[in-house]
Amino acid sequence: MAPNPNPQVFLFLSQILGKKILDANGRKCGRVLDLIVSVAELYPLVTGVLYRSRRGETPHRLSWDRVREVRDALRIEALQEGDSPEGALREGEVLLKDSLLDKQIVDTDGAKILRVNDLHLLRVNSSLRLVHVDVGLRGLMRRVGLERATEKFFQWFFDYQLRDNLIPWRVVQPLSAPDLLRLKISQNRLAQLHPADLADIIEELDINKRTEVFQALDVETAAEALEETDPKIQVHLIENLHPAKASDIIEEMSPSEAADLLGDLPKEKAEGILKEMEQEIAEDVKGLLVHPEEEAGGLMTTSFPVFPPGTTVKEALNFLRREAENLDVIYYLYVADEGGHLLGVTSLRDLLMANPEAVLGDLMEPRIVSVGVEEEKEEIAALFAKYAFKAIPVVDEQRRLKGVITFRNLLEVVAPQLGK
Amino acid sequence: MPEKNQGTNATAPAPQASPRGFWRTLVVFLALIGPGIITSNVDNDAGGITTYSLAGSEYGLTLLWTLIPITLALIIIQEMCARMGVVSGKGLSDLIRERFGARVTFYLMIALFLTNLGNTISEFAGVAASLEIFGVSKYISVPLSAFFVWWLVVKASYKSVEKAFLAACVFYVSYIISGFLAKPDWAEIQEALLTPTVSFAPGFLTMTVGLVGTTIAPWMQFYLQSSVVDKGLKAEDYHFARMDVIFGSIIVNIVAFFIILLCAVTIFQAGVKIASAKDAALALAPLAGKYCTWLFAFGLLNASLFAASILPLSTAYTICEAFGWEASVNRKFSEAPQFYGLYSLMIFLGMAVILFPDVPLISIMFYSQVINGVVLPVVLIFMLILVNDRRIMKGYTNSRIMNLFSLLTILVLIFLSAAMVITSFF
Repeated sequence: MAPNPNPQVFLFLSQILGKKILDANGRKCGRVLDLIVSVAELYPLVTGVLYRSRRGETPHRLSWDRVREVRDALRIEALQEGDSPEGALREGEVLLKDSLLDKQIVDTDGAKILRVNDLHLLRVNSSLRLVHVDVGLRGLMRRVGLERATEKFFQWFFDYQLRDNLIPWRVVQPLSAPDLLRLKISQNRLAQLHPADLADIIEELDINKRTEVFQALDVETAAEALEETDPKIQVHLIENLHPAKASDIIEEMSPSEAADLLGDLPKEKAEGILKEMEQEIAEDVKGLLVHPEEEAGGLMTTSFPVFPPGTTVKEALNFLRREAENLDVIYYLYVADEGGHLLGVTSLRDLLMANPEAVLGDLMEPRIVSVGVEEEKEEIAALFAKYAFKAIPVVDEQRRLKGVITFRNLLEVVAPQLGK
Repeated sequence: MPEKNQGTNATAPAPQASPRGFWRTLVVFLALIGPGIITSNVDNDAGGITTYSLAGSEYGLTLLWTLIPITLALIIIQEMCARMGVVSGKGLSDLIRERFGARVTFYLMIALFLTNLGNTISEFAGVAASLEIFGVSKYISVPLSAFFVWWLVVKASYKSVEKAFLAACVFYVSYIISGFLAKPDWAEIQEALLTPTVSFAPGFLTMTVGLVGTTIAPWMQFYLQSSVVDKGLKAEDYHFARMDVIFGSIIVNIVAFFIILLCAVTIFQAGVKIASAKDAALALAPLAGKYCTWLFAFGLLNASLFAASILPLSTAYTICEAFGWEASVNRKFSEAPQFYGLYSLMIFLGMAVILFPDVPLISIMFYSQVINGVVLPVVLIFMLILVNDRRIMKGYTNSRIMNLFSLLTILVLIFLSAAMVITSFF
């Protein structure tokens, strides 16, 4: 059979580590210690081999271009002096074994933290690329040296064929080295996760890694994840940040979440962050901060649509289109007079069905269910349960509209009491 | 410089004169205690109580002094674990896997599973023995307690579990009370405690090794470090963890002290021969009154149940952490199958072995002790390497003096473990 001109071969890192390196004359030059890859590409390219010729010697680097054959040993062209300027890594390069093998990664597809048992490499022509991460039992047993035995055992005992559990590299976010988290070239893949999943992962990480991962996120992702995180961990994450960065993140959060978080922080820290924040948002948040967290005033958000009664449907819709992104409530539109007294409420559904020229004052429902600023969460929960609202407005003694409690805000304080 | 770093860490957080500083310190300390005290108390499990009773009833007060060096060794080793936990934020099996690779970890975990399984079996034996004193058949007590232990962890949240565990620690007082009930001669005890008696009789040596072996076990390092990590301490607050560890190590040995003392002034002086903790409890009735027996038996039950819940939990947690499997008592069964599987398997096996008629309990214990003796030095050496790794410990590596002390401790422990393994075969 003629040899395939473009052979594609899958290899495992564990099969390469420790292999002998032979030169053209078959003389042994050393053993493979680690592989160097450039992570800039979607599937990292192996650029070099770290090897050692004798025990106790400092490792040397060998360029991958010079590897001719990978079988029972790595065959290379004659070793040159230039091959050995220490094992220094270049920009964007990492060591596979040192920073990935046995370390934790996030599978952004399954939203899980896993441990790397082996790395799966693909050899096309002479180049070698990292394509999969092996997180399965089979990979583990390969490392232990009992792959065959385990395979046979599973076949015999469970009649089950043990397969590799491989995760494609493009959905893997390594956690071990800070460099891998911060690499600008390969964007942080954690941003692809749903914020709630990302929050779960952050909560599960150890205390140091948690901070590293959080700080590597972009402001928007960080804010979204932070909203879903356990309050204790929120405080820990923000405390470790510089006030300027912290304020950027908190600005992106909804005002009610931001107020809850700032309320949990030590006073000086909270004030430092408020100072750094945009004036307008800071004022909103400060207004919410004075209320206890478990009362209506502490649950409510101040970012909701409110209009004078003379506003037309068209104007209101245009406003929503512009501002929807920054609003915590969009389904209900509140109508209030110049003094801020709540007059009525209408919904997005009513708006869509109404004549664009109609005014909100005619459209609105004047009978409103609202709560006082000091209403307790149990009462509020009872109202939500009774009327099946998505949000309830909060008013003061003069019926001035102070904020809106969304169902989600309520759920957050009530959920812990629902049991497991 | 690591030495300097540690020095400042030890002194800097000392509470200031202001009462607010003191209260804050106290509140933080109370919030953070737990890991060290729980670990130490689990240490006084059924096996521990048996060893202490045998030591007291066979050798009187002569072995009492060994508790002082044992306490010191316990503090030195656990302090390193607590420090690693706080600084790295990772459990011990996590660090071992990342530093020493899959193969070593795999075999270590198998050994750990076996030795912990042996310990769990002895806990259920302790449950059976203690309740037999109260007239409850083991066919009732063991399945019920196994179910209770399993339910506690699978169905309750970790917070409540930890509270239950801390409450269980209080019941160790029963041994202290029974120690006082025996009305010992305190002057004689003080003398025995402060004058080291060494004998090279094989029985004496074996007993010493047994005392050390039961107090310093491999699983503790894993459990302690993981629970310190769970507390989420910052490196600056590390001194609280150290206080917790020191406090716990002293308490564990106070309990041991009273058990040895009790058996020494009663059973040893009366010249009664006993072979187990149950014998010890029964022998106490004519010598120190039936309340003493009851207290002793109750203490044994508490200790066995306590350890029977922690050991399988700690083992499952450690193994899952090493292999990257989901492991948390806050997950559902289907979300963490390996974790709950291992946990349930250990409890089930522990229970089944005790209920099985004619099970060779003695030889199971024997092999479990041998594996214990082999695993302990490995774990300790790994710990010493890890705690000196600057990449993991940053500025908190061992100081030179600390290294000297821990190396010395480890060498003694290795020597004793080797002696135990070798003597158990001959």
